[in-house]
Amino acid sequence: MHSFGFRANAVVTFAVTILAVVCAMASLSDNFNVPSPTAGVKVLNINWFQKQPNGNDEVSLTLNISADLQSLFTWNTKQVFVFVTAEYETPQNALNQVSLWDGIIPSKEHAQFSIHTTNKYRFVDQASHNNLRGKDFNLTLHWHIMPKTGKMSADKIVLTGYHLPNEYR
Amino acid sequence: MDWQGQKLAEKLMEILLMAFAVASFVVGYAIGSFQIMLLVYASGVLLTVLITVPNWSFFNRHSLNWLDPAEAGRHPKSQATVLPSSKKKTSKLK
Repeated sequence: MHSFGFRANAVVTFAVTILAVVCAMASLSDNFNVPSPTAGVKVLNINWFQKQPNGNDEVSLTLNISADLQSLFTWNTKQVFVFVTAEYETPQNALNQVSLWDGIIPSKEHAQFSIHTTNKYRFVDQASHNNLRGKDFNLTLHWHIMPKTGKMSADKIVLTGYHLPNEYR
Repeated sequence: MDWQGQKLAEKLMEILLMAFAVASFVVGYAIGSFQIMLLVYASGVLLTVLITVPNWSFFNRHSLNWLDPAEAGRHPKSQATVLPSSKKKTSKLK
């Protein structure tokens, strides 16, 4: 502490160390938040459902996605990434996931939404020897929370009881 | 800056930074704004730099009183052992 440069160095070093501790505390404070998100997805229409020339089944859906994710936001939340997947079981794989729609929620004000949309990404089952006719599937709303400091976390709400028609259309 | 001044500067630095860290966390958490927490802390760091880094006069209240050269000259025996090292020391102490 005998010279200007030494004192400046000491202050900056100590200040940054404390900043790291403060950020860790901010991250820990997220544990006090108990979120209670809600979500609902309605399949309004199956626009078409057909076999592609290469044998894969493809479905086009019109969806209504509504969710209230406001309780996920704390003072340490930068943004939340949400996406909807169709999940189903085939003889080869216990879990198949196809992403249908996604979005980025930048703030708490935008965390309650209801969106009317066709599937943003194509719903194709890539095993050509399968077919999806009459298949039961889940629509799952996944989200990833990106905090300002700390660890990313993810969770989901599984919505069951959807099924595809027995015939192509 | 004298010895007591250096000690005071280090104490002040630690206390001020810790106090501002606690205050900024409490304020930020209460308001629910990460940005305000960082702004409060940044202004605290700036204030700490202004208080502890420049060589203010209140850090120089305990100047060391060295023996004057005439006094040292009266004890040649100790001078022989002390002088080589004391020369180095005096150049360090500003």
